Amino acid sequence: MEQKNERTAEPQVEFLVARVKNGDREAFMKLVAAYQQKVFILAYSMVRDREDALDLVQEVFLRLYEKIQSYRAGESFQAWLMQIARNLSIDFLRRKKTRKKDSLDGLDLDRADLATDREDPGCFQTGELIHRAVQALPEKQRLVFILHHFDDLKYEEIADRLGIAVGTVKSLHFKAIQNLRKTLAPSLGGAR
Amino acid sequence: MKACRKYKKEWPAFVGGQLPHGRTEEMAAHLKVCAACRAELEETRKLMSMAADFKEELKEVMATVDWESLPVEITDKVWAQKERTAPAQAPSGWRFWKWQPVVAGLFLGLLLGGALTFLVLRPQKPGTMVARQETGISLPADLVERVDLALARRETIDYLERSQYLLLDLLQNGQAGESGLVRQERIQQLLTEKKYLNNQLDDWRLMKARAICDQIELLFLELSQLSPELSARELAKVREMVEEKQLLLKINLVKKELQQGEV
Repeated sequence: MEQKNERTAEPQVEFLVARVKNGDREAFMKLVAAYQQKVFILAYSMVRDREDALDLVQEVFLRLYEKIQSYRAGESFQAWLMQIARNLSIDFLRRKKTRKKDSLDGLDLDRADLATDREDPGCFQTGELIHRAVQALPEKQRLVFILHHFDDLKYEEIADRLGIAVGTVKSLHFKAIQNLRKTLAPSLGGAR
Repeated sequence: MKACRKYKKEWPAFVGGQLPHGRTEEMAAHLKVCAACRAELEETRKLMSMAADFKEELKEVMATVDWESLPVEITDKVWAQKERTAPAQAPSGWRFWKWQPVVAGLFLGLLLGGALTFLVLRPQKPGTMVARQETGISLPADLVERVDLALARRETIDYLERSQYLLLDLLQNGQAGESGLVRQERIQQLLTEKKYLNNQLDDWRLMKARAICDQIELLFLELSQLSPELSARELAKVREMVEEKQLLLKINLVKKELQQGEV
């Protein structure tokens, strides 16, 4: 997939961030252009809905602007931005889950929603299956899996983006694979 | 077995082509002699292929987004929000500092003046006390409101409980329970009581309770239209309505919340 300005050099980012801190609109727009697709990939992998993912991209950059003064030069900007994106995506999923639960409290059961909530794994498409299985992974494993398989990042790049050691990335990836194999065993034809 | 353990963690990297050439060769040679590892590799491959399917979907979705105009759109929204939330721009430069003592003096004067006015006028300030017509005693408005709300809660709980007993008796015992005439009398009482309750349920904090009470009222209105001795078909219909709307469960939930003072 097309990744515009993917390798936005850190010094250039630092420069842009410094300008955004002073309220520079152009610089902010450049930051959005540089990172929008990365944020979208993460958001879509978490929520699997185009509109929700686009809303999340918007929310992430809004939050970025609100918090930009707390970003310290020298930190990894990508790691910081991805942390915001990850937290907002998790909040979104939580809200969505709570909304489903609260439909009873609202004294009006959301039957349409329940009707589309298919429980039979047999009726899922492959994309749906893998998405659900990835959602069930522990948070760090999920993030590493998403970045490696959906954002095409190598272990070293993931380590850099998340601010963790390469060994940790490898280990998290291995655990993610093992967990996914367990969850998807019937579809993979395994005995686990 | 020892070799299997050694390679176990590396099959994902093997499939992804992320291993050094020598290691890849070594593992490929091992695969030829180990059926268990071949099976493991096959599963890993299938998993990777599923992930690739999802990536394909992601690619297709991304192709539908207008990445050129999105930054402009987002920036416009962020700036609009910024302008809505930011207070009037603070004056800058030496002029601000020059006038700062004057501004501070004015602010302090306003603050002191306001405090003095408050102290002087406070005893006569109207609106914070409410005179109860029946007693002529004045009470703080917030206290009156709290008492009214507590009373409304108690009466609603009472109404919900009595409705619940009536419904339970009807559903569990059917015609074997109390006589139809007695039941009709209780239904009429509850309908009258609901009319009285309506005023109190207008409070926004009791909205949820209002919704459930309205549902009960509708059911009772239907019951009051039927003959006192319900036929088996009518009874089944009532049961179906109660179960479909999950009335008993909702009554329990709302009662609980009212008792905890959360509704």
